Amino acid sequence: MRRFFLVAAMLLAGSCSGAGGGGGDRAEIYLQRFFGECGAEYGSATDVSKVEGECGIITAMINKFNASNPDVHVSSNVVAWPGYPQLSAQMAAKDPPDLVTMHTGVISDYAAEGLLEPIEPYLAEAGLAPSALTEASRSAVTIGGKLFGLPFDTHGGLFHVNTKLFAQAGLMKDGKPVLPTSPEEMLAQARQFTERTGKPYLIQSLVGDNAYAARNVYTYLLAQNAVLFPSPRRIRLQTPEAERIVDFFRGITASGVSTRNQDTPAAIGSFMSGEGGIYPTGTWMIGQFEAEANTPGRPLYQSYTVYPYPRLWGQDVSYVSGHAWVVPKRERSPEQRRAIARFFRFIADHNFDWARTGHLPAFQAVVESPAFKALPHRTNIAPVATTGRPLPGGVQRQNAIEGLVGEEVAAAFNGQKSTRQALADAERRVNELLAQTEA
Amino acid sequence: MRGGADRRDWSGLLFVLPFLTAYLIILIYPLLSGMALSFQRVDLFGGGRFVGFDNYARLFADETFVRSVLNTFALALMIVPLLTVIALSLALALNRATRGAAVFRGVFFSSSVLSVTIVTLIWRFVLAPDAGLLGETAQAIGAEPIPFLSHPTWSLWALAITTIWWSVGLPMMLFLAGLQQIPGDVYEAAALDRASRWTTFWRVTLPALRRTLVLVVMLQTAAQLQIFGQAQLLTGGGPGGSTRTMVLFIFESAFARWELGYATAAAEILFLLIVLITLTQYVTTMRASEGEDGR
Repeated sequence: MRRFFLVAAMLLAGSCSGAGGGGGDRAEIYLQRFFGECGAEYGSATDVSKVEGECGIITAMINKFNASNPDVHVSSNVVAWPGYPQLSAQMAAKDPPDLVTMHTGVISDYAAEGLLEPIEPYLAEAGLAPSALTEASRSAVTIGGKLFGLPFDTHGGLFHVNTKLFAQAGLMKDGKPVLPTSPEEMLAQARQFTERTGKPYLIQSLVGDNAYAARNVYTYLLAQNAVLFPSPRRIRLQTPEAERIVDFFRGITASGVSTRNQDTPAAIGSFMSGEGGIYPTGTWMIGQFEAEANTPGRPLYQSYTVYPYPRLWGQDVSYVSGHAWVVPKRERSPEQRRAIARFFRFIADHNFDWARTGHLPAFQAVVESPAFKALPHRTNIAPVATTGRPLPGGVQRQNAIEGLVGEEVAAAFNGQKSTRQALADAERRVNELLAQTEA
Repeated sequence: MRGGADRRDWSGLLFVLPFLTAYLIILIYPLLSGMALSFQRVDLFGGGRFVGFDNYARLFADETFVRSVLNTFALALMIVPLLTVIALSLALALNRATRGAAVFRGVFFSSSVLSVTIVTLIWRFVLAPDAGLLGETAQAIGAEPIPFLSHPTWSLWALAITTIWWSVGLPMMLFLAGLQQIPGDVYEAAALDRASRWTTFWRVTLPALRRTLVLVVMLQTAAQLQIFGQAQLLTGGGPGGSTRTMVLFIFESAFARWELGYATAAAEILFLLIVLITLTQYVTTMRASEGEDGR
């Protein structure tokens, strides 16, 4: 019996030291991320240059960090995108991870609650100067003069184009796709495309993808210089500018030149199978589509390019966001703190690898590096670094707002609600939500 | 004498004390604390403020919540009767001691062991209009695919079909257990009376299964009023909120919008609705059965 208690006590002590982290030889870091799960394909990959896509690159990066830092072990928990419900629950239970991927627009929610650590001490330990970050990425993580995350990238929506189908539709000029410069031109080109190819001009993921519809509305509202948030606790959507955008996408969806029943996987599948001309989605798909374009025999082989959202109204501006690594507040050993700083250094050193996903780099030196400029299509999308605009940093619950706006306007795009009703409902729901946030 | 009886009572209580303790901590305490939270304006991270019935008043004026209640009831009405009839039919068909019946019992029960993620993935492959099995089949025969996931009318049916396929195993097993409790001599007597198969089912089998039937309907009603995973994963509550269920609304309010007080008020309303509906079902069916027993 005594032996049983002794063994039990030893096991308990062992598990406690593991849970505490940093008590043994290795500092344990618990990392939580989105970007998908691909352990079956890249579970043991450590050569970051040989993998593709967000999931492959981040998986290989973490594997490489673990392999090259034997005194640290980063264990990853992959959450379904975007993972904030789980994170909120973990924080409410006072058991958050050590490192978390977070969209820059969401940081203010958690920072306002005092749930995140400012990262300047980690940057200092890692020998990273905040001035090394791009202006866009640094400002996206700065709240009240403090940095609350290490920026990973800047990202936004892009028009991914099937050049073979565009050529078939007579919409290529000097080897480049002819993109519209006005809503009327876009509709005319769409009709021409569908008549000549028999395929949809626009692949839209309107099912279960609120971010897509919201991104379109945000981008073209910013382009028209519309004031989306007159104050951080009030949205304004019942405007002629917003009606113009929603009416246009509603019209293009109804006119038979667009898909209307696809969710994100179906839309990605359609584009990769050569079943449509333009798929408006984010920077994060460039790596995967480019890999398809380089694989002989695939429908996208040598038929892919990508451009920022075209200017349809007003000025050349698009809505952007970014990914960052944040450090939730909790007790940590000095070894764990040093390990986090080392991980930050590693992330900064591999910012070019991450930029291969299609996202724009967070570090100015990488943006200016010949290696980055030599990546496919980067000259096409580079203007996003200067034309990109995030939502105002003071607006809280940006993730929930995107869901509400996207749900309502997607219903209007698909003809299930009138434009005015959808915008009125979106405005009412968002303002009700914002009214409940603490000032 | 009396002292001895007291001692016996207390010793009995000791046996159930571990369970009672766990029950109080895991169920009763959260229930009471949820009730308290529903009267506060509070986010996920604490710091609440008492607001009386404000959360409840907001809920009844919230079109999104009211719609989620209607969606939930519509789904329960679509699922429970169909599920009960299908499970009973399968049980009747497979209530025989053959190897084939045993295999099929396993086949029909197998969907129940899958997680909701797998179930919704499978049904997404079937129902997706542009690339799913049904969509491809419809296009192959020149028909227009049914927009199961993108049209408000069809999307609730998509959830209902998925749920019925997933949930049919347990009720089928309950019915099979009930069928195997019916004595064979009752069927022999019915055969001697030259009762048709329909009359035998209606007059012998169904009355004998009454309690199982009540159990299945009550369990399924309570379960389907809490439907969540299918709505979240298959349709995300869309299109346009047409498949947002009460639990999905609660989840979104608590974890996406951080309105914990508001979410718990919605959860309390759901709790009351489930209790009321299942109690009504129980009392109604028990009264009917007592009436028949009296005859």
